[in-house]
Parts: sequence; structure tokens; C-alpha cells
Amino acid sequence: MTRSLAITLNALGLYAIALVLTGAFAAQLLLNELPCPLCLLQRCLFALLATGPFLNIRYGPRPSHYAVALLTACAGAAVAARQILLHIMPGDPGYGSALLGYHFYTWAFIGFAAAIVLIAIVLLFDGQFHGDTAAQPVEVFVRAAVWLIIGLTALNVISTFVECGYSACPDNPTTYELLRPSR
Amino acid sequence: MEFAALFLSILVVLAITWWGSREWALALFTIALIASVATYFHHATDVLKLSF
Repeated sequence: MTRSLAITLNALGLYAIALVLTGAFAAQLLLNELPCPLCLLQRCLFALLATGPFLNIRYGPRPSHYAVALLTACAGAAVAARQILLHIMPGDPGYGSALLGYHFYTWAFIGFAAAIVLIAIVLLFDGQFHGDTAAQPVEVFVRAAVWLIIGLTALNVISTFVECGYSACPDNPTTYELLRPSR
Repeated sequence: MEFAALFLSILVVLAITWWGSREWALALFTIALIASVATYFHHATDVLKLSF
């Protein structure tokens, strides 16, 4: 695998993360399903997962950059697994609505597990770590992925602040704290 | 509030990764990951209100 192919694959990874974050936003805004604390933590870890591809694109592919993404994906899978286990009892309707038969936290677990497997597969190809290590110009396709992730993370800062306000986020949020009419 | 702060710290990590130095990016990433795991453990040690 060449260095440029590895960078293209990292950019595709960023687009996949952007798709996940956009899907979560769509459910929040269109279905009016406010994210619970564990849901927010999974979103945080999806955003943090982008650090690995960011490092690979900016400084060139290195095993340590993939390790950054692997550690984050493991943490994300652990959080998603906890939420699955909270709703494992028969008869429990789960939190929020389902997409194609699975709740969003189950999809999150699948997403983090897929990231772990895909990163391990990409790590098998040593060719990307050799050759020219000088900084190369970043293509528009790659730059757009970077800006998309930064924009979605910034939107999450605003959205979470409006949802939770200045206090701890409620376990089962029903309204945006900062939009609640004052009494 | 804590999650807005967490998202903000991740935004800073991403910005430093893209525009700053690699060493700072790795250091801030480590802090953000530890903060995320600490938030997880804080939630995991909450008493569960089970109905059975």
C-alpha cells in the first residue's frame, strides 16, 4: 500500500465518522430524540476517533497514529456495550428509536468494532510507513473531510451546551435546558 | 455541561492536530481520552434504578 492510498483511506474513514455524526444529528433534530449522557459520550468518542486519521493525513501514516484511533475505538466500543447491556433484559424497549432493527447504541458498537477491524487490516500493509516522509500537499477531497469533522464537532459543542445548559446532563432528557421558558 | 466541555476539548485536540504541533496533539489527545474514560467510569458507578 502506498502512502497516498493510505491517506485516501484515512480520508474515507473521516467521511464515515462524519456520516455517523450527521446521522446522530438527524435523529436528534428530525425525530426530536435528545441524546442521553452515554449517547453523548459515544458521539464524543466518534469525534475523538478522527484524531488518528488527522495525524496520518497531516504528518504521514505511522503505527502510533493508528494506535491513537485503536485506543479510542476500544473506549467507544466499551461505552456502547455498556448501554446495550443496560437494556438487555427481555421486555426492555431500549433507549430511543431503532434504525433497521437496531438502536443507535448497537449501531455505535458495530461502528467501533468495524473501526478496530479495519484499522488492524490497514496496519498489515508496511509499505505506507516507508518512502518519502516530507509533507505533501493535501487534496481538496481530504481537506473537505477534515473541515467536515471540525464543523460537526463544533456543532456538537453548541448542541450539547443548549441541551444540558450549565448543569449535569439529565439521564433521560426531554427538552433543551437553555430553550426552556423561564419560570 | 460536562459533555459540552468534553466536545470542546476534542475540538481543541482536532484543531491542534491540524494546525499545531504533533507533540501537543498527542498530549491533548491523551488528556481528552482520559477525560472520556473518567466520564464513563463516573456513569458506570452510578446506582442503577432497576425494576426487577
